[in-house]
Amino acid sequence: MKAIEVTNLKKSFGAFQAVRDASFMADSGEVLGLLGPNGAGKSTTISMLSGLLMPTGGDASIMGHSVTKDPEAAKKSLGVVPQDVALYPDLSARENLVFWGKMYGLRGAGLSSRVDEVLEIIGLTDRQKDHVGRFSGGMKRRVNIGAALLHKPDVVIMDEPTVGIDPQSRRHILDNVKELNQQGMTVLYTTHYMEEAAELSHHIAIMDKGRVIAYGTHDALIKMIGEQTRIDLTLNAEAEKVLDAWRAIEGVAGIDATDGKVTALVDDSNRVLPRLFDAASKANVRITSVGIQEPNLETVFLHLTGRALRD
Amino acid sequence: MIFDLALKDLLQMVRDKRSLLFIVAMPIIFTLFMGFAYRGGSQNDAEADHRIPLALVDPQPDSRLSKMLFTRLDSSDSIRIVPMNEDEAMNAFRKGEVAGVLVIPAGFSEQAEAGKAAQLNLIAEASSSEGQSLYQLLRVPISQLMSAVEVARLSADVQSNPDEYIPSVELAWSKWNENSKISLVRVEQAVAKGSESDWTGGNPYNQASPGILVQFAIFGLTTSAQILVQERKTRTLQRLMTTVMRPWEIVAGHLLAMFGLVFLQTVILVVFGQFALGVDYLREPLGTLLVSVALGLWVASMGLLIGVFARTDDQVILYSMVAMFLFSALGGTWFPLEAAGGAFAAIGRAMPSAWAMTGYQDILIRGLGLDSVWLAAGCLLLYALGFFGLAVWRFKELEV
Repeated sequence: MKAIEVTNLKKSFGAFQAVRDASFMADSGEVLGLLGPNGAGKSTTISMLSGLLMPTGGDASIMGHSVTKDPEAAKKSLGVVPQDVALYPDLSARENLVFWGKMYGLRGAGLSSRVDEVLEIIGLTDRQKDHVGRFSGGMKRRVNIGAALLHKPDVVIMDEPTVGIDPQSRRHILDNVKELNQQGMTVLYTTHYMEEAAELSHHIAIMDKGRVIAYGTHDALIKMIGEQTRIDLTLNAEAEKVLDAWRAIEGVAGIDATDGKVTALVDDSNRVLPRLFDAASKANVRITSVGIQEPNLETVFLHLTGRALRD
Repeated sequence: MIFDLALKDLLQMVRDKRSLLFIVAMPIIFTLFMGFAYRGGSQNDAEADHRIPLALVDPQPDSRLSKMLFTRLDSSDSIRIVPMNEDEAMNAFRKGEVAGVLVIPAGFSEQAEAGKAAQLNLIAEASSSEGQSLYQLLRVPISQLMSAVEVARLSADVQSNPDEYIPSVELAWSKWNENSKISLVRVEQAVAKGSESDWTGGNPYNQASPGILVQFAIFGLTTSAQILVQERKTRTLQRLMTTVMRPWEIVAGHLLAMFGLVFLQTVILVVFGQFALGVDYLREPLGTLLVSVALGLWVASMGLLIGVFARTDDQVILYSMVAMFLFSALGGTWFPLEAAGGAFAAIGRAMPSAWAMTGYQDILIRGLGLDSVWLAAGCLLLYALGFFGLAVWRFKELEV
């Protein structure tokens, strides 16, 4: 049985199709990374998985329970970590966890001991009596995660849990995810940080404009683009002056310019790079910095969409 | 889980110190204040002299007829005589300090007793009700005085004994005075149902206590409605929707918390009214309980409705204030609707707050029993059902 199975999932808001025939799956005990830029449809997809939105078409299941036909059973197997910190700021960390534990049906001594365990996991045992409103952003995010773990769900959905926090808290959260996964939890981790997806995920689904445009292991996705290399360039002038010339160069597989930065995907950087300089010189554009990157998930995204992931 | 959600809401409400101020302290202070105001009003009423003030200008106050007339008028329940000289009297009249001036001309007694035409002057605003009343009130005793003089004079003439005049005039005047105390037509005061002359039932807090209770029950929902708005803003409502709690259970949990808050506030104010202010809620404890529960459910439903409609805390406060002033003013919590009368009272009686007041006052003022409050409680529950239905409909439409 698949822990998560998404089949031809669709969601429309009026004429706008937020999710288009999305399909992916995750085996029990694995971390599935859902990667994509803002607005790709990740949050809408997990809103359907967590019962907040009804799909317009297709279906999804959590531990074999359809989210459309048997949503209660699906919810019982699921813990959701929302993108925003969804806690009561005027309650303490412990009071928040106790409350959310009760909302998942926990009671009495079992609840109390589980809250102690979760406080230990998120590293806030010594701050458990403090009001969440007084916590730093990173600490709030840790309680936010803890609230989804109380009922020991089979599957945890984490929606961009590291957005806007300090590096130390981010590291703590990533370590938490790995630890939970080692304990057997299946994690669906959405992010637009490709390094997080690469570090955590067994499988990665890349979404763009409501579609799953690639799905596979990290290595398999990298292999999709063969030996291509990513070159990042900074210019002293508008990129439009030279973009067409660069696109015409043999060996340039894709090129994207955003905010003064140009990202090119090339077959052989040693051969293509001098030609890029040559074309820039002819267009009176000076290249002020060059960076050559080994293929990564961002390169994959660029290869698939012609745009950088940061878009 | 419904209970757990309600307890969480109540914990948040109690932690908000401002809410305690509005839920307990302010209603008690306002009850005392309004009670004092009502009592002060009724005391002032009792002590006030409602007789029509009349300046009496009499240059010969020791003359026989002047003394007789003054004694009669001074004992009147309707006229308050204020002896003045002419200038003082006219000044007082212009300033509105007296409703009229009665001038007894010099030589009035002598002329009347001599059978010559003698006339008193009444200066009053003929078009005013007080002026009209003065004329009517003076006309009778003056006519009687002149009649007594005429009878005595005739009697003395008939007996050809001038010494008979004085005993005769005193006898005739005393007879007129006795007759004037006997009413030939008895007037019974008819009081329409629901318009008792003492609208507080003898205790001004019988109006102030339930009035402020109902008013602050409505205002108290601000805190509870804010919880719901905060839950949407902090996305905790969204998170609740991802748990196994069903939407109706979430609504019911919040409703239960709001009801708990309002009911707790009601109990505090009822106990305070009963033991500190002598408002006898416990004369009919089941009736009081029934009205209080129905009131709590109505107010909680309205709080829920405000909570799902408002998007910000400011909107919650605005909607709550509008609800409080609308239902308080129209529902008779500040003053009895009977006192307003007309269209105002007719509209007001349809308000749920008016039904709550009717329920309490049936017990406190009209001295009725449990049977009397069923209608009021039933109407409140119907309102509660309507508001709750609207809130649930709106909740389903919410984009969490």
